[in-house]
Amino acid sequence: MEKTATQKIKLGIFVIVGLLIFITTVYFIGKKQNIFGKTTEISSIFDNVNGLQLGNNVRYSGVSVGTVTAIEMINDTMIRVEMDIDDKIISHINKDAVAIISSDGLVGNKIISILPGKKNKIPVKEGDVIKSMKRLNTEDMLKTLNVTNENTAKITSNLVKITEEITKGKGTIGMLINDTTMSADLKEITQGLKESATSLSQLTTSLNSKDNVIGVLNDTGTANSIKQTLKNLENSSLKIDDAVKNLNTTITNAKEGKGAINYLSNDPKLVQKIDSIMTNINKASIKLNENMEAMRHNFLFRGYFKKQEKEQKKNQKNSSSK
Amino acid sequence: MNTIFKISEPIQSFLTEIGELSYFSGRFFKEVGKRPYEFKEFLKQCYNMGYQSLLLVGVTGFIIGLVFTLQSRPTLQQFGAVSWMPSMVSISIIREIGPIITALICAGRIGSGIGAELGSMRVTEQIDAMEVSGTNPYKFLVVTRILATTLMLPILVFFADAIAIYGSFLVENTKGNVSFLLYFNQVFRHLEFSDLIPSTIKTFFFGFAIGLVGCFKGYNCKKGTAGVGIAANSAVVYTSMLLFIIDFIAVLVTDIFYN
Repeated sequence: MEKTATQKIKLGIFVIVGLLIFITTVYFIGKKQNIFGKTTEISSIFDNVNGLQLGNNVRYSGVSVGTVTAIEMINDTMIRVEMDIDDKIISHINKDAVAIISSDGLVGNKIISILPGKKNKIPVKEGDVIKSMKRLNTEDMLKTLNVTNENTAKITSNLVKITEEITKGKGTIGMLINDTTMSADLKEITQGLKESATSLSQLTTSLNSKDNVIGVLNDTGTANSIKQTLKNLENSSLKIDDAVKNLNTTITNAKEGKGAINYLSNDPKLVQKIDSIMTNINKASIKLNENMEAMRHNFLFRGYFKKQEKEQKKNQKNSSSK
Repeated sequence: MNTIFKISEPIQSFLTEIGELSYFSGRFFKEVGKRPYEFKEFLKQCYNMGYQSLLLVGVTGFIIGLVFTLQSRPTLQQFGAVSWMPSMVSISIIREIGPIITALICAGRIGSGIGAELGSMRVTEQIDAMEVSGTNPYKFLVVTRILATTLMLPILVFFADAIAIYGSFLVENTKGNVSFLLYFNQVFRHLEFSDLIPSTIKTFFFGFAIGLVGCFKGYNCKKGTAGVGIAANSAVVYTSMLLFIIDFIAVLVTDIFYN
Protein backbone atom coordinates (compact mmCIF):
# COMPACT_ATOMS: atom_id res chain seq x y z
CA MET A 1 0.00 0.00 0.00
CA GLU A 2 2.89 2.29 0.90
CA LYS A 3 4.51 1.46 -2.37
CA THR A 4 1.38 2.42 -4.23
CA ALA A 5 1.25 5.81 -2.48
CA THR A 6 4.84 6.59 -3.50
CA GLN A 7 4.02 5.45 -6.98
CA LYS A 8 1.04 7.79 -7.03
CA ILE A 9 3.17 10.75 -5.92
CA LYS A 10 5.79 9.95 -8.54
CA LEU A 11 3.12 9.59 -11.19
CA GLY A 12 1.56 12.86 -10.06
CA ILE A 13 4.87 14.71 -10.35
CA PHE A 14 5.49 13.08 -13.73
CA VAL A 15 2.12 14.15 -15.09
CA ILE A 16 2.28 17.66 -13.63
CA VAL A 17 5.78 18.33 -14.93
CA GLY A 18 4.82 16.95 -18.34
CA LEU A 19 1.75 19.16 -18.49
CA LEU A 20 3.77 22.15 -17.28
CA ILE A 21 6.15 21.70 -20.19
CA PHE A 22 3.17 21.66 -22.54
CA ILE A 23 1.52 24.66 -20.90
CA THR A 24 4.78 26.65 -20.97
CA THR A 25 5.16 25.93 -24.67
CA VAL A 26 1.56 26.95 -25.32
CA TYR A 27 2.06 30.10 -23.24
CA PHE A 28 5.18 31.22 -25.07
CA ILE A 29 3.73 30.55 -28.49
CA GLY A 30 0.54 32.32 -27.41
CA LYS A 31 2.47 35.24 -25.97
CA LYS A 32 4.28 35.63 -29.23
CA GLN A 33 0.92 35.83 -30.97
CA ASN A 34 -0.55 38.16 -28.32
CA ILE A 35 -3.29 35.73 -27.36
CA PHE A 36 -3.22 36.45 -23.64
CA GLY A 37 -2.61 40.22 -23.53
CA LYS A 38 -5.14 42.99 -24.18
CA THR A 39 -5.15 44.04 -27.79
CA THR A 40 -6.61 46.72 -30.03
CA GLU A 41 -7.78 45.93 -33.52
CA ILE A 42 -6.77 48.20 -36.37
CA SER A 43 -6.83 47.53 -40.09
CA SER A 44 -5.26 48.60 -43.34
CA ILE A 45 -6.27 48.16 -46.97
CA PHE A 46 -3.87 46.71 -49.52
CA ASP A 47 -4.20 45.92 -53.20
CA ASN A 48 -1.90 42.89 -52.91
CA VAL A 49 -1.01 41.03 -49.71
CA ASN A 50 1.86 39.02 -51.28
CA GLY A 51 0.98 35.75 -49.52
CA LEU A 52 0.38 37.19 -46.04
CA GLN A 53 -1.27 34.64 -43.75
CA LEU A 54 -3.35 34.75 -40.61
CA GLY A 55 -1.13 34.85 -37.54
CA ASN A 56 1.75 36.61 -39.30
CA ASN A 57 3.58 39.10 -37.14
CA VAL A 58 3.03 42.85 -37.13
CA ARG A 59 6.08 44.98 -36.39
CA TYR A 60 6.24 48.61 -35.45
CA SER A 61 9.71 50.11 -35.99
CA GLY A 62 11.09 46.56 -35.86
CA VAL A 63 9.39 45.56 -32.58
CA SER A 64 6.84 42.72 -32.66
CA VAL A 65 3.60 44.34 -31.56
CA GLY A 66 0.84 42.07 -32.79
CA THR A 67 -0.52 39.60 -35.30
CA VAL A 68 -2.68 39.50 -38.40
CA THR A 69 -6.16 38.33 -37.41
CA ALA A 70 -8.16 38.60 -40.62
CA ILE A 71 -7.58 38.98 -44.33
CA GLU A 72 -10.75 39.94 -46.12
CA MET A 73 -11.33 40.67 -49.80
CA ILE A 74 -13.48 43.80 -50.14
CA ASN A 75 -13.45 44.04 -53.93
CA ASP A 76 -11.17 43.11 -56.82
CA THR A 77 -8.48 45.62 -55.86
CA MET A 78 -8.94 46.07 -52.11
CA ILE A 79 -7.99 43.61 -49.39
CA ARG A 80 -8.61 44.54 -45.79
CA VAL A 81 -6.04 43.19 -43.33
CA GLU A 82 -7.01 43.32 -39.67
CA MET A 83 -4.35 43.33 -37.00
CA ASP A 84 -4.44 42.92 -33.25
CA ILE A 85 -1.94 45.31 -31.70
CA ASP A 86 -0.69 45.07 -28.12
CA ASP A 87 -2.39 47.72 -25.95
CA LYS A 88 0.97 48.77 -24.46
CA ILE A 89 2.21 49.80 -27.90
CA ILE A 90 -0.98 51.22 -29.41
CA SER A 91 -0.49 54.67 -27.86
CA HIS A 92 2.76 55.04 -29.80
CA ILE A 93 1.17 54.39 -33.19
CA ASN A 94 -0.13 57.59 -34.75
CA LYS A 95 -3.02 57.90 -37.16
CA ASP A 96 -0.73 58.72 -40.09
CA ALA A 97 1.36 55.55 -39.61
CA VAL A 98 1.87 53.53 -42.79
CA ALA A 99 1.63 49.73 -43.13
CA ILE A 100 3.88 47.83 -45.53
CA ILE A 101 3.96 44.11 -46.25
CA SER A 102 7.53 42.86 -46.14
CA SER A 103 9.28 39.63 -45.29
CA ASP A 104 11.13 38.54 -42.19
CA GLY A 105 14.64 38.19 -43.58
CA LEU A 106 15.43 37.07 -47.09
CA VAL A 107 13.40 33.86 -47.03
CA GLY A 108 11.30 34.34 -43.91
CA ASN A 109 7.56 34.65 -43.33
CA LYS A 110 5.63 37.68 -44.51
CA ILE A 111 5.19 40.40 -41.91
CA ILE A 112 3.39 43.72 -41.72
CA SER A 113 5.74 46.57 -40.89
CA ILE A 114 4.10 49.70 -39.53
CA LEU A 115 6.19 52.79 -40.17
CA PRO A 116 5.69 55.60 -37.66
CA GLY A 117 3.87 58.74 -38.81
CA LYS A 118 5.48 62.15 -38.49
CA LYS A 119 2.97 64.97 -38.63
CA ASN A 120 -0.13 63.67 -36.88
CA LYS A 121 0.45 63.03 -33.19
CA ILE A 122 -2.99 61.52 -32.48
CA PRO A 123 -2.72 57.82 -31.57
CA VAL A 124 -4.85 55.22 -33.37
CA LYS A 125 -8.02 53.84 -31.78
CA GLU A 126 -9.92 50.57 -32.01
CA GLY A 127 -11.19 50.02 -35.56
CA ASP A 128 -9.05 52.73 -37.21
CA VAL A 129 -7.82 52.18 -40.76
CA ILE A 130 -4.22 53.20 -41.37
CA LYS A 131 -2.69 53.91 -44.76
CA SER A 132 -0.80 51.25 -46.67
CA MET A 133 2.10 51.52 -49.03
CA LYS A 134 2.74 49.29 -52.01
CA ARG A 135 6.09 47.63 -51.84
CA LEU A 136 8.02 46.66 -54.94
CA ASN A 137 7.71 42.90 -55.12
CA THR A 138 10.17 40.45 -56.58
CA GLU A 139 8.12 40.00 -59.74
CA ASP A 140 8.21 43.72 -60.55
CA MET A 141 11.92 43.79 -59.80
CA LEU A 142 12.51 40.83 -62.10
CA LYS A 143 10.52 42.51 -64.87
CA THR A 144 12.67 45.64 -64.64
CA LEU A 145 15.76 43.48 -64.44
CA ASN A 146 14.70 41.66 -67.59
CA VAL A 147 14.46 44.92 -69.53
CA THR A 148 17.87 45.92 -68.16
CA ASN A 149 19.27 42.55 -69.22
CA GLU A 150 17.95 42.94 -72.77
CA ASN A 151 19.46 46.42 -72.99
CA THR A 152 22.76 45.11 -71.63
CA ALA A 153 22.76 42.38 -74.27
CA LYS A 154 22.21 44.98 -77.01
CA ILE A 155 24.92 47.22 -75.59
CA THR A 156 27.42 44.37 -75.38
CA SER A 157 26.70 43.27 -78.96
CA ASN A 158 27.22 46.85 -80.12
CA LEU A 159 30.42 47.00 -78.09
CA VAL A 160 31.65 43.84 -79.76
CA LYS A 161 31.04 45.40 -83.17
CA ILE A 162 32.76 48.61 -82.14
CA THR A 163 35.79 46.83 -80.69
CA GLU A 164 36.05 44.64 -83.79
CA GLU A 165 36.09 47.72 -86.00
CA ILE A 166 38.60 49.39 -83.73
CA THR A 167 40.95 46.38 -83.93
CA LYS A 168 40.56 46.37 -87.69
CA GLY A 169 41.60 50.02 -87.71
CA LYS A 170 38.29 51.38 -89.00
CA GLY A 171 36.96 54.75 -87.86
CA THR A 172 38.70 57.56 -86.03
CA ILE A 173 39.42 55.60 -82.84
CA GLY A 174 40.66 52.62 -84.86
CA MET A 175 43.03 54.88 -86.74
CA LEU A 176 44.14 56.51 -83.53
CA ILE A 177 45.00 53.14 -82.05
CA ASN A 178 46.42 51.37 -85.09
CA ASP A 179 48.00 54.16 -87.21
CA THR A 180 51.64 54.55 -86.19
CA THR A 181 52.24 57.69 -88.23
CA MET A 182 49.34 59.40 -86.53
CA SER A 183 50.81 58.60 -83.18
CA ALA A 184 54.09 60.14 -84.29
CA ASP A 185 52.17 63.22 -85.45
CA LEU A 186 50.36 63.36 -82.17
CA LYS A 187 53.70 63.15 -80.39
CA GLU A 188 54.94 66.09 -82.39
CA ILE A 189 51.78 68.01 -81.73
CA THR A 190 52.06 67.41 -78.03
CA GLN A 191 55.70 68.44 -78.18
CA GLY A 192 54.69 71.62 -79.99
CA LEU A 193 51.94 72.19 -77.47
CA LYS A 194 54.46 71.77 -74.69
CA GLU A 195 56.73 74.36 -76.23
CA SER A 196 53.82 76.72 -76.78
CA ALA A 197 52.81 76.27 -73.21
CA THR A 198 56.35 77.11 -72.07
CA SER A 199 56.44 80.23 -74.22
CA LEU A 200 53.00 81.19 -73.03
CA SER A 201 54.16 80.82 -69.49
CA GLN A 202 57.18 82.98 -70.22
CA LEU A 203 54.94 85.52 -71.87
CA THR A 204 52.61 85.72 -68.93
CA THR A 205 55.60 86.11 -66.60
CA SER A 206 56.94 88.95 -68.68
CA LEU A 207 53.49 90.50 -68.89
CA ASN A 208 53.35 90.54 -65.15
CA SER A 209 56.56 92.56 -64.92
CA LYS A 210 56.38 96.39 -65.40
CA ASP A 211 58.96 96.45 -68.16
CA ASN A 212 56.41 96.24 -70.94
CA VAL A 213 53.07 97.74 -71.99
CA ILE A 214 50.82 95.27 -70.20
CA GLY A 215 53.00 95.50 -67.10
CA VAL A 216 52.70 99.24 -67.22
CA LEU A 217 48.98 98.87 -67.64
CA ASN A 218 48.95 96.78 -64.50
CA ASP A 219 50.50 99.70 -62.63
CA THR A 220 47.81 101.65 -60.78
CA GLY A 221 49.42 105.06 -61.36
CA THR A 222 49.45 104.46 -65.07
CA ALA A 223 45.92 103.20 -64.91
CA ASN A 224 44.86 106.42 -63.19
CA SER A 225 46.55 108.59 -65.78
CA ILE A 226 44.95 106.46 -68.53
CA LYS A 227 41.66 107.03 -66.84
CA GLN A 228 42.30 110.78 -66.83
CA THR A 229 43.27 110.63 -70.49
CA LEU A 230 40.15 108.74 -71.29
CA LYS A 231 38.11 111.36 -69.46
CA ASN A 232 39.80 114.12 -71.44
CA LEU A 233 39.20 112.15 -74.58
CA GLU A 234 35.58 111.90 -73.65
CA ASN A 235 35.39 115.65 -73.15
CA SER A 236 37.19 116.21 -76.41
CA SER A 237 34.87 113.87 -78.20
CA LEU A 238 31.94 115.82 -76.82
CA LYS A 239 33.48 119.00 -78.16
CA ILE A 240 34.24 117.32 -81.46
CA ASP A 241 30.68 116.22 -81.52
CA ASP A 242 29.57 119.84 -81.13
CA ALA A 243 31.97 120.88 -83.83
CA VAL A 244 30.70 118.18 -86.13
CA LYS A 245 27.19 119.33 -85.41
CA ASN A 246 28.12 122.88 -86.36
CA LEU A 247 29.85 121.65 -89.47
CA ASN A 248 26.82 119.64 -90.29
CA THR A 249 24.56 122.62 -90.04
CA THR A 250 27.00 124.62 -92.14
CA ILE A 251 27.05 121.87 -94.76
CA THR A 252 23.29 121.64 -94.65
CA ASN A 253 23.06 125.35 -95.07
CA ALA A 254 25.49 125.17 -97.93
CA LYS A 255 23.49 122.39 -99.52
CA GLU A 256 20.24 124.20 -99.07
CA GLY A 257 21.65 127.17 -100.98
CA LYS A 258 22.43 129.48 -98.13
CA GLY A 259 25.80 131.35 -98.48
CA ALA A 260 28.52 131.50 -101.09
CA ILE A 261 29.82 127.96 -100.81
CA ASN A 262 26.64 126.43 -102.07
CA TYR A 263 26.75 128.84 -104.95
CA LEU A 264 30.30 127.85 -105.63
CA SER A 265 29.80 124.15 -105.40
CA ASN A 266 26.38 123.70 -106.87
CA ASP A 267 26.12 126.27 -109.72
CA PRO A 268 27.68 124.84 -112.92
CA LYS A 269 27.28 128.13 -114.76
CA LEU A 270 29.59 129.83 -112.36
CA VAL A 271 32.25 127.28 -113.15
CA GLN A 272 31.86 127.95 -116.82
CA LYS A 273 32.06 131.66 -116.15
CA ILE A 274 35.14 131.28 -114.03
CA ASP A 275 36.63 129.07 -116.71
CA SER A 276 36.02 131.67 -119.40
CA ILE A 277 37.31 134.40 -117.07
CA MET A 278 40.45 132.35 -116.53
CA THR A 279 40.91 131.98 -120.31
CA ASN A 280 40.43 135.68 -120.70
CA ILE A 281 42.90 136.40 -117.94
CA ASN A 282 45.36 134.02 -119.57
CA LYS A 283 44.99 135.82 -122.88
CA ALA A 284 45.22 139.17 -121.13
CA SER A 285 48.40 138.16 -119.38
CA ILE A 286 49.98 137.02 -122.68
CA LYS A 287 49.04 140.31 -124.16
CA LEU A 288 50.37 142.12 -121.13
CA ASN A 289 53.61 140.25 -121.55
CA GLU A 290 53.80 141.49 -125.10
CA ASN A 291 52.99 144.99 -123.88
CA MET A 292 55.74 144.78 -121.27
CA GLU A 293 58.24 143.56 -123.81
CA ALA A 294 57.21 146.48 -125.97
CA MET A 295 57.61 148.83 -123.02
CA ARG A 296 61.13 147.56 -122.46
CA HIS A 297 62.11 148.55 -125.83
CA ASN A 298 60.39 151.96 -125.38
CA PHE A 299 62.88 154.77 -124.60
CA LEU A 300 60.78 156.06 -121.77
CA PHE A 301 61.08 152.87 -119.73
CA ARG A 302 64.48 151.50 -121.04
CA GLY A 303 66.48 153.25 -118.26
CA TYR A 304 64.34 151.77 -115.53
CA PHE A 305 64.69 148.18 -116.81
CA LYS A 306 68.48 148.48 -117.16
CA LYS A 307 68.74 149.69 -113.55
CA GLN A 308 66.82 146.64 -112.38
CA GLU A 309 69.07 144.23 -114.29
CA LYS A 310 72.13 145.77 -112.69
CA GLU A 311 70.73 145.39 -109.17
CA GLN A 312 69.81 141.79 -109.87
CA LYS A 313 73.32 140.97 -111.00
CA LYS A 314 74.70 142.63 -107.86
CA ASN A 315 72.52 140.49 -105.65
CA GLN A 316 73.55 137.31 -107.45
CA LYS A 317 77.22 138.16 -107.00
CA ASN A 318 76.76 138.82 -103.30
CA SER A 319 74.97 135.55 -102.69
CA SER A 320 77.54 133.45 -104.56
CA SER A 321 80.44 135.14 -102.71
CA LYS A 322 78.78 134.43 -99.41
CA MET B 1 -18.08 -16.10 -51.90
CA ASN B 2 -15.82 -18.93 -50.85
CA THR B 3 -13.54 -18.42 -53.85
CA ILE B 4 -12.90 -14.82 -52.82
CA PHE B 5 -11.78 -15.85 -49.31
CA LYS B 6 -9.64 -18.67 -50.66
CA ILE B 7 -7.29 -16.37 -52.61
CA SER B 8 -4.31 -17.01 -50.42
CA GLU B 9 -3.64 -17.93 -46.86
CA PRO B 10 -1.50 -14.89 -45.79
CA ILE B 11 -3.93 -12.31 -47.22
CA GLN B 12 -6.81 -14.11 -45.59
CA SER B 13 -5.10 -14.18 -42.19
CA PHE B 14 -4.07 -10.52 -42.57
CA LEU B 15 -7.62 -9.45 -43.32
CA THR B 16 -8.91 -11.58 -40.43
CA GLU B 17 -6.46 -9.88 -38.11
CA ILE B 18 -7.50 -6.42 -39.29
CA GLY B 19 -11.13 -7.34 -38.75
CA GLU B 20 -10.44 -8.77 -35.28
CA LEU B 21 -8.41 -5.69 -34.35
CA SER B 22 -11.31 -3.48 -35.42
CA TYR B 23 -13.73 -5.47 -33.27
CA PHE B 24 -11.23 -5.36 -30.41
CA SER B 25 -10.95 -1.53 -30.61
CA GLY B 26 -14.71 -1.22 -30.97
CA ARG B 27 -15.11 -3.18 -27.77
CA PHE B 28 -12.71 -0.77 -26.04
CA PHE B 29 -14.97 2.21 -26.89
CA LYS B 30 -17.97 0.25 -25.65
CA GLU B 31 -16.35 -0.72 -22.38
CA VAL B 32 -14.50 2.53 -21.56
CA GLY B 33 -17.57 4.41 -20.44
CA LYS B 34 -19.09 1.55 -18.47
CA ARG B 35 -18.82 1.15 -14.73
CA PRO B 36 -17.01 -0.03 -12.68
CA TYR B 37 -13.90 2.02 -13.46
CA GLU B 38 -10.69 0.20 -12.64
CA PHE B 39 -9.00 3.38 -11.41
CA LYS B 40 -6.31 1.73 -9.29
CA GLU B 41 -5.25 -0.54 -12.12
CA PHE B 42 -5.28 2.45 -14.46
CA LEU B 43 -2.97 4.44 -12.16
CA LYS B 44 -0.68 1.45 -11.77
CA GLN B 45 -0.43 1.11 -15.52
CA CYS B 46 0.18 4.86 -15.83
CA TYR B 47 3.05 4.56 -13.39
CA ASN B 48 4.52 1.56 -15.19
CA MET B 49 4.16 2.93 -18.66
CA GLY B 50 4.64 6.64 -18.05
CA TYR B 51 6.92 7.25 -15.14
CA GLN B 52 9.05 4.16 -15.64
CA SER B 53 9.63 4.96 -19.29
CA LEU B 54 10.78 8.48 -18.49
CA LEU B 55 14.45 7.65 -18.06
CA LEU B 56 14.63 5.74 -21.33
CA VAL B 57 12.70 8.39 -23.22
CA GLY B 58 14.70 11.20 -21.56
CA VAL B 59 18.09 9.70 -22.43
CA THR B 60 16.98 8.98 -25.99
CA GLY B 61 15.58 12.49 -26.40
CA PHE B 62 18.75 14.09 -25.03
CA ILE B 63 20.96 12.08 -27.38
CA ILE B 64 18.66 12.80 -30.33
CA GLY B 65 18.89 16.54 -29.57
CA LEU B 66 22.68 16.41 -29.32
CA VAL B 67 23.17 14.31 -32.43
CA PHE B 68 20.65 16.20 -34.51
CA THR B 69 22.33 19.53 -33.73
CA LEU B 70 25.84 18.16 -34.25
CA GLN B 71 24.87 16.62 -37.57
CA SER B 72 23.04 19.63 -39.01
CA ARG B 73 25.47 22.27 -37.71
CA PRO B 74 28.11 21.92 -40.47
CA THR B 75 25.50 22.15 -43.20
CA LEU B 76 23.93 25.27 -41.68
CA GLN B 77 27.42 26.69 -41.18
CA GLN B 78 28.05 26.39 -44.92
CA PHE B 79 25.09 28.68 -45.54
CA GLY B 80 25.97 30.97 -42.63
CA ALA B 81 22.63 30.10 -41.07
CA VAL B 82 23.71 28.74 -37.67
CA SER B 83 21.43 31.28 -36.02
CA TRP B 84 18.53 29.35 -37.50
CA MET B 85 19.57 26.23 -35.60
CA PRO B 86 17.26 26.69 -32.56
CA SER B 87 14.23 27.33 -34.75
CA MET B 88 15.04 24.42 -37.01
CA VAL B 89 15.73 22.03 -34.14
CA SER B 90 12.63 23.04 -32.18
CA ILE B 91 10.31 22.78 -35.16
CA SER B 92 11.65 19.41 -36.34
CA ILE B 93 11.73 17.92 -32.83
CA ILE B 94 8.27 19.13 -31.82
CA ARG B 95 6.67 18.34 -35.16
CA GLU B 96 8.14 14.95 -35.92
CA ILE B 97 11.24 13.62 -34.25
CA GLY B 98 10.03 13.87 -30.65
CA PRO B 99 6.67 12.13 -31.15
CA ILE B 100 7.87 9.39 -33.50
CA ILE B 101 11.04 8.47 -31.56
CA THR B 102 9.17 8.41 -28.25
CA ALA B 103 6.38 6.35 -29.77
CA LEU B 104 8.83 3.84 -31.28
CA ILE B 105 10.67 3.45 -27.96
CA CYS B 106 7.38 3.00 -26.14
CA ALA B 107 6.26 0.50 -28.77
CA GLY B 108 9.39 -1.48 -27.97
CA ARG B 109 9.17 -1.16 -24.24
CA ILE B 110 5.44 -0.90 -23.46
CA GLY B 111 3.95 -2.70 -26.48
CA SER B 112 6.11 -5.76 -26.06
CA GLY B 113 5.54 -5.64 -22.28
CA ILE B 114 1.78 -5.60 -22.66
CA GLY B 115 1.90 -8.34 -25.30
CA ALA B 116 4.05 -10.61 -23.15
CA GLU B 117 2.13 -9.90 -19.95
CA LEU B 118 -1.33 -10.47 -21.38
CA GLY B 119 -0.03 -13.37 -23.47
CA SER B 120 1.33 -15.18 -20.47
CA MET B 121 -1.88 -14.44 -18.59
CA ARG B 122 -3.81 -15.98 -21.44
CA VAL B 123 -1.49 -18.99 -21.62
CA THR B 124 -1.64 -19.56 -17.87
CA GLU B 125 -5.43 -19.19 -18.12
CA GLN B 126 -5.54 -16.29 -15.68
CA ILE B 127 -7.82 -14.40 -18.05
CA ASP B 128 -10.18 -17.36 -18.20
CA ALA B 129 -10.13 -17.52 -14.40
CA MET B 130 -11.10 -13.84 -14.26
CA GLU B 131 -14.00 -14.44 -16.56
CA VAL B 132 -15.14 -17.34 -14.34
CA SER B 133 -14.84 -15.24 -11.18
CA GLY B 134 -17.12 -12.59 -12.69
CA THR B 135 -14.50 -9.87 -13.30
CA ASN B 136 -14.50 -8.43 -16.78
CA PRO B 137 -10.91 -9.20 -17.89
CA TYR B 138 -11.22 -6.90 -20.94
CA LYS B 139 -12.16 -3.95 -18.79
CA PHE B 140 -9.60 -4.70 -16.10
CA LEU B 141 -6.67 -5.57 -18.33
CA VAL B 142 -7.23 -3.99 -21.73
CA VAL B 143 -9.16 -0.74 -21.13
CA THR B 144 -6.83 0.40 -18.33
CA ARG B 145 -3.72 -0.33 -20.41
CA ILE B 146 -4.98 1.33 -23.57
CA LEU B 147 -6.12 4.40 -21.60
CA ALA B 148 -2.78 4.54 -19.78
CA THR B 149 -0.73 4.41 -23.01
CA THR B 150 -3.05 6.94 -24.70
CA LEU B 151 -2.67 9.47 -21.90
CA MET B 152 0.96 8.82 -20.92
CA LEU B 153 2.53 8.95 -24.36
CA PRO B 154 1.79 12.68 -24.94
CA ILE B 155 3.36 13.50 -21.56
CA LEU B 156 6.40 11.39 -22.40
CA VAL B 157 6.62 13.28 -25.71
CA PHE B 158 6.59 16.65 -23.88
CA PHE B 159 9.50 15.46 -21.76
CA ALA B 160 11.33 14.07 -24.77
CA ASP B 161 10.86 17.35 -26.71
CA ALA B 162 12.05 19.49 -23.81
CA ILE B 163 15.08 17.30 -23.10
CA ALA B 164 16.01 17.04 -26.79
CA ILE B 165 15.87 20.84 -27.18
CA TYR B 166 17.98 21.19 -24.04
CA GLY B 167 20.50 18.74 -25.54
CA SER B 168 20.57 20.83 -28.68
CA PHE B 169 21.13 23.96 -26.56
CA LEU B 170 24.13 22.33 -24.88
CA VAL B 171 25.77 21.77 -28.27
CA GLU B 172 25.00 25.31 -29.42
CA ASN B 173 26.21 26.70 -26.11
CA THR B 174 29.56 24.93 -26.27
CA LYS B 175 30.16 25.32 -30.01
CA GLY B 176 28.55 28.65 -30.74
CA ASN B 177 28.53 30.53 -27.40
CA VAL B 178 24.77 30.97 -27.49
CA SER B 179 23.21 32.05 -24.19
CA PHE B 180 20.20 30.20 -22.76
CA LEU B 181 17.96 33.26 -23.10
CA LEU B 182 18.88 33.78 -26.75
CA TYR B 183 18.42 30.08 -27.51
CA PHE B 184 15.09 30.07 -25.70
CA ASN B 185 13.86 33.13 -27.68
CA GLN B 186 15.07 31.61 -30.92
CA VAL B 187 13.23 28.35 -30.18
CA PHE B 188 9.92 30.15 -29.81
CA ARG B 189 10.60 32.66 -32.55
CA HIS B 190 9.29 30.47 -35.35
CA LEU B 191 7.24 28.03 -33.32
CA GLU B 192 3.54 28.23 -34.04
CA PHE B 193 0.45 26.50 -32.68
CA SER B 194 0.30 24.75 -36.04
CA ASP B 195 3.52 22.99 -35.03
CA LEU B 196 2.52 22.06 -31.49
CA ILE B 197 -1.16 21.17 -31.60
CA PRO B 198 -1.25 18.64 -34.48
CA SER B 199 1.82 16.86 -33.18
CA THR B 200 0.29 16.66 -29.68
CA ILE B 201 -2.98 15.27 -31.03
CA LYS B 202 -0.97 12.77 -33.04
CA THR B 203 0.71 11.42 -29.89
CA PHE B 204 -2.67 10.42 -28.41
CA PHE B 205 -3.25 8.24 -31.47
CA PHE B 206 0.27 6.84 -31.15
CA GLY B 207 -0.39 5.92 -27.52
CA PHE B 208 -3.73 4.38 -28.39
CA ALA B 209 -2.13 2.30 -31.17
CA ILE B 210 0.63 1.04 -28.85
CA GLY B 211 -1.83 -0.01 -26.17
CA LEU B 212 -4.36 -1.42 -28.61
CA VAL B 213 -1.98 -3.60 -30.60
CA GLY B 214 -0.10 -4.77 -27.49
CA CYS B 215 -3.31 -5.75 -25.74
CA PHE B 216 -4.78 -7.33 -28.88
CA LYS B 217 -1.73 -9.49 -29.45
CA GLY B 218 -1.49 -10.52 -25.81
CA TYR B 219 -5.22 -11.00 -25.26
CA ASN B 220 -5.53 -13.22 -28.32
CA CYS B 221 -2.32 -15.17 -27.64
CA LYS B 222 -2.48 -18.89 -28.47
CA LYS B 223 -0.33 -21.98 -28.78
CA GLY B 224 1.25 -22.18 -25.35
CA THR B 225 4.46 -20.51 -24.18
CA ALA B 226 5.80 -20.02 -27.71
CA GLY B 227 2.76 -17.87 -28.36
CA VAL B 228 3.87 -15.42 -25.67
CA GLY B 229 7.07 -14.71 -27.53
CA ILE B 230 5.21 -14.35 -30.79
CA ALA B 231 2.67 -12.04 -29.15
CA ALA B 232 5.39 -9.77 -27.72
CA ASN B 233 7.32 -9.73 -30.99
CA SER B 234 4.38 -9.16 -33.29
CA ALA B 235 3.02 -6.47 -30.95
CA VAL B 236 6.21 -4.44 -31.49
CA VAL B 237 6.34 -5.06 -35.25
CA TYR B 238 2.67 -4.25 -35.89
CA THR B 239 2.73 -1.24 -33.58
CA SER B 240 5.82 0.23 -35.29
CA MET B 241 4.23 -0.18 -38.69
CA LEU B 242 0.94 1.26 -37.48
CA LEU B 243 2.76 4.24 -35.94
CA PHE B 244 4.23 5.21 -39.31
CA ILE B 245 0.86 4.81 -41.01
CA ILE B 246 -0.80 7.01 -38.37
CA ASP B 247 2.03 9.53 -38.70
CA PHE B 248 1.56 9.68 -42.45
CA ILE B 249 -2.20 10.21 -42.10
CA ALA B 250 -1.64 12.82 -39.39
CA VAL B 251 0.76 14.78 -41.61
CA LEU B 252 -1.72 14.68 -44.49
CA VAL B 253 -4.56 15.89 -42.25
CA THR B 254 -2.38 18.64 -40.74
CA ASP B 255 -1.42 19.74 -44.20
CA ILE B 256 -5.07 20.04 -45.19
CA PHE B 257 -6.06 22.03 -42.08
CA TYR B 258 -3.06 24.33 -41.71
CA ASN B 259 -2.17 25.11 -45.32
